[in-house]
Amino acid sequence: MNETKDIAIEVVGLSKSYGPVRALRSVDIAIGRNEYFVLLGPSGGGKTTLLRMIGGFTKPTAGRILLHGVDVAHLPPDKRPTCMVFQSYALFPHMTVAGNVGYGLKLKGMSKAEIQVRLDAVLEMVGLNGYQARMPWELSGGQQQRVQLARALVLEPEILLLDEPLAALDEQLRKDMCIWLKHLQERVGITFIHVTHNQEEAMSVADRIALIADGELVECGDARQVYRTPARRFTASFMGESNLLDGTVAEVSGDGTVTVDVGIARVAVPSADATAGIQAAVSVRSEAMRLIPRDQAQGADEQALDAIYQEEIYLGLMTRQIMALPNGQTISVRSVSDDDEAPAFQAGDAVRVVWKTAAGRLHLS
Amino acid sequence: MQDDYANIWGIRLQWAYLLAVVFVLMVPVFYNLYISFNEFGFGAARYEFTLDWYGVIFTDRLLTGAMGWTLALALVTVVFVVPMGLLTAKLFKQAGRRLKLTVVAVMLLPLFVPADIFASALLVFFKQLNRIFQTVAEMTGIGAFETWFELGFMTAVIGLIIYTIPYVFIVILITMGRYRAEQTEAARSCGATAWRAFWDVEFPQIRAGVFSSCAFTVILAFNEYVRTSTLKGGFDTFTSVLVSQMLNIGMSEQSYAMGGLISAVAITVIGSIIVFTLVRTDRLQRIERAKAQPVGAD
Repeated sequence: MNETKDIAIEVVGLSKSYGPVRALRSVDIAIGRNEYFVLLGPSGGGKTTLLRMIGGFTKPTAGRILLHGVDVAHLPPDKRPTCMVFQSYALFPHMTVAGNVGYGLKLKGMSKAEIQVRLDAVLEMVGLNGYQARMPWELSGGQQQRVQLARALVLEPEILLLDEPLAALDEQLRKDMCIWLKHLQERVGITFIHVTHNQEEAMSVADRIALIADGELVECGDARQVYRTPARRFTASFMGESNLLDGTVAEVSGDGTVTVDVGIARVAVPSADATAGIQAAVSVRSEAMRLIPRDQAQGADEQALDAIYQEEIYLGLMTRQIMALPNGQTISVRSVSDDDEAPAFQAGDAVRVVWKTAAGRLHLS
Repeated sequence: MQDDYANIWGIRLQWAYLLAVVFVLMVPVFYNLYISFNEFGFGAARYEFTLDWYGVIFTDRLLTGAMGWTLALALVTVVFVVPMGLLTAKLFKQAGRRLKLTVVAVMLLPLFVPADIFASALLVFFKQLNRIFQTVAEMTGIGAFETWFELGFMTAVIGLIIYTIPYVFIVILITMGRYRAEQTEAARSCGATAWRAFWDVEFPQIRAGVFSSCAFTVILAFNEYVRTSTLKGGFDTFTSVLVSQMLNIGMSEQSYAMGGLISAVAITVIGSIIVFTLVRTDRLQRIERAKAQPVGAD
């Protein structure tokens, strides 16, 4: 984990409106020096708008952007200590790999010899030695993206902005590039801000994740925390595959749990700060649930809901089982495929969905 | 089922038709060239090949003078109209949908007004404007105002700009269509100012369109008669000399030679642009094909 004590970027009350449409609403974020920070969220949520405002490509309607304590909201992109990597590669098609990567150095007025030395070093770093004379169209997608990274890294920016950098790559290459990007960031030791809508990609690289949706910062925290203990209902629905049960807080116990009436049953969830009578939602990740026959009792530390078994979907490593609750809501349970000990059910069987009380999360917003 | 595309005779027929159309269109130009090489000129019973008329082109003061004015008009028009067309095309690319419609409407409007109506409208406009400026000159005592909008070189240039800007706008806009704005942003991200990003990254990719529009403007300036004749004031242009000769005494032999020379230059310039564009298009298609390949492991 990187050192995140020093703040590299601080965004204060940042907003962006396009006429009546509010793309970003008063967002506050602090990103540490040398941190790999991911802006995650659904398409159209405002994450790219935020990244583009940090890079100077979009002018904020209101708010401040402090890069190492200096307000840069009024500065153009070429005057900021940032460099951007684009989803569409954005390589200059009339220049070779060397021309592309050396472009920024040429602008800085460096000599040809200096440029060559730095070119060699950065192309070595991204694994593209010997590609200097190639034209962009002679490269694969992954190679083009690495040229783009080299073009940015050769300028030694303090902050690297990556706008959906892996979105155009195929699944396997994207996974490989995620690991490669993470290692690269650790090697170069600068702040990376990476925008993606892909949760797995975010989890693979991030030190911290900020979830952005509908122009708002929904939640921010380290990757594990955001996944395992989402504070907001939206986070629980977006991260992983959770089952959500809406209801009302019925009882607050002194043992750190509350009981929520979800209409078809009452379930206990761990929580310290809830008041009886308020609207709430309970989320349980589908892999934290299991199925048992209806006539079997759950454990003492478990919660249960009666359901009717509907179908099974084989996903390779995992199998998803879908059940219907008495109120018609569907609920899914994921388990490792080919688990011989798991009971087999047929469509229409009466079953119980159970989970450890500690696996439930209470969401008040 | 028969595959029409595989029918070689269908393809040959299409090509034959295309070549026939081009031939018919070019016949007058070839005929002009044919006459320009005849020692006895147009309408003579005898034909004897000669290059003499090309030799005497530049001794004909009327023709060279008119040629000089036309060239000056063309070049000054290019200097103004190409940057204007380029800036408008850039504005169009950045604009929202409503502004885009406005820009297109304003830029293409001159195309829908008949030449003689536009020419007479501009004539009346400049006459009126000149009168206002003359009044201002009398009131302020600044004599320079008196001649600002008298018919002459400037009014002819304005007429040509209005005439040529829709073509320039469209030609540049078409070449800009392939350009992606992220490349400018990438250049800015590398430290380039807005101008450097344009000059280093965007311009090389739209250069063919800009040069084509320059060539096109020059050709249009040579081609234009109605607006230029109405607005030019006291000097002669190449077209007005030719028309005048045809209507009064018949074209001189050196006029045919000049026509032949201009046609040859125009065909060479346009031909070169077409060849360059075809080569470039082929290159870009290869890029597109490469992009279309599934992205695999490196």
